[in-house]
Amino acid sequence: MTDTVTSPRGPGLRAWRALIAHEGRMVRRDTAGLVIPLGLPMLLLVMNGSGDSPPVPGLSGMSQQLAYVLPMVIVLTIATVGVINMPSFLATYRRYKILRRLAVTPARPSMVLVAQAVVGIAQAAAGITLVVVVAALLFGLSAPADPMGIALALVLTTTAMFALGMLVAAVSPTPNSALAIGLVSFFVLMALGGGFGPRGNLPDGVAAVGEYLPFGAGLDTLMAAWIGQPLDVAQLGALAGVTVVAAAVSARVFRWT
Amino acid sequence: MAVIEVRDIHKRYGETIAVDGVDFDVEAGEIFGVLGRNGAGKTTTVEIVEGLRTPDAGMVRVLGLDPVRDRKALRTVLGVQLQEGMLPDKATAGELVRLYRSFYADGADPERLLGQLGLDDKRDTFVDELSGGQLQRLSIALALVGRPRVAVLDELTSGLDPRARRDTWQLIEQVRAAGVTILLVTHFMDEAQRLCDRIAVFDRGRIAALDTPEGLVRRTHGGGGTSLDEAFLAVTDADADAHADTDTDVDADVDVNADVTVLDDVLRDAGGPDGEVRR
Repeated sequence: MTDTVTSPRGPGLRAWRALIAHEGRMVRRDTAGLVIPLGLPMLLLVMNGSGDSPPVPGLSGMSQQLAYVLPMVIVLTIATVGVINMPSFLATYRRYKILRRLAVTPARPSMVLVAQAVVGIAQAAAGITLVVVVAALLFGLSAPADPMGIALALVLTTTAMFALGMLVAAVSPTPNSALAIGLVSFFVLMALGGGFGPRGNLPDGVAAVGEYLPFGAGLDTLMAAWIGQPLDVAQLGALAGVTVVAAAVSARVFRWT
Repeated sequence: MAVIEVRDIHKRYGETIAVDGVDFDVEAGEIFGVLGRNGAGKTTTVEIVEGLRTPDAGMVRVLGLDPVRDRKALRTVLGVQLQEGMLPDKATAGELVRLYRSFYADGADPERLLGQLGLDDKRDTFVDELSGGQLQRLSIALALVGRPRVAVLDELTSGLDPRARRDTWQLIEQVRAAGVTILLVTHFMDEAQRLCDRIAVFDRGRIAALDTPEGLVRRTHGGGGTSLDEAFLAVTDADADAHADTDTDVDADVDVNADVTVLDDVLRDAGGPDGEVRR
């Protein structure tokens, strides 16, 4: 205990590490929340990747199905963590005043948002690693033709999905509504983006919208990078745009209590 | 110098006046009680002291710090225990104390603190498996882990059984003995009587009375050996009819404390009329 109140030191690196580790434990112990982001993409990969379609020369030796399904399940993993799970955690923290409790410590409640995003991204990375390894072992996945393009696609898709997730957390008054809004947003993105079958099957107008929403744009970009096709600049711009707009709006409207 | 200075603060939410000119000082090492019904303005006042709310008018200083402007400095010297339900279910007691310890540059040893609060064997127990008393002790541990100079404790013993309440009171007296100034929000008369050096009785956004527990009783009954309950009702009931419809919980509070200790007993416990618990 000191006698005078002088130059407060803010929460340092130690607090960040402790908080990220803590959020990691919260996510790990939420067993139900692990099933969808890790289980569903794997299920879809195994069910669709095992088709007998022959390797296509233009697809660096992959089957047409795999060239589509693998990027799709990667985007699916990012979207389920970012748009469904993370907002659900944050809305619960707000509901049970955990954010408010932190506001009366030297830690800032915003640190929880960052820690949740860090843990969510780590969880998505683990899920992606899992599907890629399985696709490589079982279905003859070829190495990506454009690794830099893959990196760019992963980063932009992740920032866009997590920014949307922050927006869901920002506008949801209760944990229940966060889950509902998260799920609906997720299904809309997935349906319009080609997650339930190629966008070619959708009405033209709808498909055109889906092409620039994060699911469709992420899927196309990843697929193109994997097989060495040029990336669509407009889609990259759309991903960046969603990130900026969703992050800015959620920063404005996020309620801490 | 007073540790907490509150000068004529006002706060309204839309048409509702929550705090209407509240003024008090809390001296170093004091346990200062904030007593009142729900809606009397005590929570808003305390949240202004904590820097969670900005007053519309008036001034607050805690250890000379402005809770809003000097928020960062205040957080390192003010420990806050908020009402229940503010901890994640799937964290253990030990994890939370260590996590909160990491927020402070200087602080208590988490393991020792858990031991002092009787949570030794609960350090690996999840929050949702702790009893009410254990949860309360955990939340006190989190308020104290940064070794604060001032602690704000809100609804400390709500929902606790009599045994756990008495244990908690003992604990608070130990905390004060360690030199921590305490602002205690409560609506339990026996708790205020047992712990507080002085009590501010809040009524409709104002302080209706501010005195020592025995002073409050003397003031209303000429020292006739009655309880603080009656003093409280006398102080706040002057125009109870005017807002009788909002007072539904006052009866419940009194019922909960049907076995309230009378003042004489408390004074005996404290070692005489000028009980040594006061400074």
